[in-house]
Amino acid sequence: MAMTRASLTLAPALAMTAALAACGSNEPQTNTIVVPPVAVAPAPTPTPPPPTSFDVGPCLNQIVVPGRTVANLVVPDLVRLDLNQPAGFPNGRRFEDPVVDVTLAVIFLDLSRHPATTFAALPVNPNRFDQPLTGTFPFLAAPLGAPPTSGGAGTNFTFRSDLPSAYTRVDRAGMPAVATELVSGNPAKNSYNDDTPAIDATGKWVPELSNILTILTNALADDFGRLGLSICARPN
Amino acid sequence: MKLATFFRVTLPCALALGGIVLAGHQALDAADHFDPPARTGSDTNTVGFDVAADIADLYAFHDANNVYLSIGFGGPSATNLPGFYDPDVLYMINVSNAGSRTDVEFPIEIRFGRDGANPGIEVRNLPGASLVRGPVERNLTTPNGITVRAGLFDDPFNFDPQGLRDSRATGNLSFNSARNRFANLNTTFVVISIPRRLLDQGQPLDIWSTSARIRS
Repeated sequence: MAMTRASLTLAPALAMTAALAACGSNEPQTNTIVVPPVAVAPAPTPTPPPPTSFDVGPCLNQIVVPGRTVANLVVPDLVRLDLNQPAGFPNGRRFEDPVVDVTLAVIFLDLSRHPATTFAALPVNPNRFDQPLTGTFPFLAAPLGAPPTSGGAGTNFTFRSDLPSAYTRVDRAGMPAVATELVSGNPAKNSYNDDTPAIDATGKWVPELSNILTILTNALADDFGRLGLSICARPN
Repeated sequence: MKLATFFRVTLPCALALGGIVLAGHQALDAADHFDPPARTGSDTNTVGFDVAADIADLYAFHDANNVYLSIGFGGPSATNLPGFYDPDVLYMINVSNAGSRTDVEFPIEIRFGRDGANPGIEVRNLPGASLVRGPVERNLTTPNGITVRAGLFDDPFNFDPQGLRDSRATGNLSFNSARNRFANLNTTFVVISIPRRLLDQGQPLDIWSTSARIRS
């Protein structure tokens, strides 16, 4: 930036000199202007542009919690709950967990320098509940308003007895925000929702997930850098 | 620039730009609400789509005594609407507690039925081969200590897809962490409490969920 400012300062003087040189006269022999040599600063070394293309491989390989990388979290698309560790995303998911902000952090930030809670602590997304959760089963707060209810009535219910094979898949959900954020439009979205974690484990969706993460990273990297946030992706 | 300002202003813009690259076919909608949009509808239009089969969120957590599994669907919905208890939709919560992460030891099946106008719930393949049947909006228990409840609840999820959409459409920064698309709305949930001894085989649990509609 300092060299750029120097160049701008020098520019008017150079322009004036050139203008004077170009003015000339109808009497060139007597009015010749002799331009003395001008000391010109050496051309500044241009600042290299910030990288715009990144390899997200380091992001997928960074460790989120002991023994689990980002790749392990999203492929296969499962919620993993270790009963020997405290509950809370990404170890399972509680009703109150800020899953989107945590997910954004672990896929974009260098977790060796920034905690996975960096975005949730701000927060990036809203984090207020309409009503406090309850401390006992079923933990969720009562519905708002006055929706029609059955009041728990009925004793002789009739249910379909068709096998699961008689149904057509509509949706699947595992790790929050993976299908919505890292899988692009149709036909990919429908296809992703029709698959299973066993198919995920073959690596079928890794190129798609990596591609979308790369697109998002390429768009966001300079913003993170300006704020002093280190990203996990590396320039190509 | 303060970090908080960045996230109110710069990051949303950057995300919006990223969204443009994605050519509008991928909204940063939510955990799983409104996905896949070709089937379930989008954040702005669900008319004619399969809202009942739209899984909102899958939850799994535990305490010293129990493992809790929950699936939300059909939301968020207005507070004057009843829960979604569609008899033609099969919801499944698949649990792996042994062997490979991707095999399924407990394919828990959830169906809704009717007794006249009153909706009921049936849950199959619970640990211990338990079967639960009974009315919604009431705790249902099994002899081996499992509890099931289906009902309409205040949706606890938080997110602002409006800000992202507006930024993407206009280029004007409009993301707002105080604006919650899911505030003041309800969603239908099934919550299941399972004693740890029925699931804990000494390795982590792996869980995923599906919805499916009966073929007509």
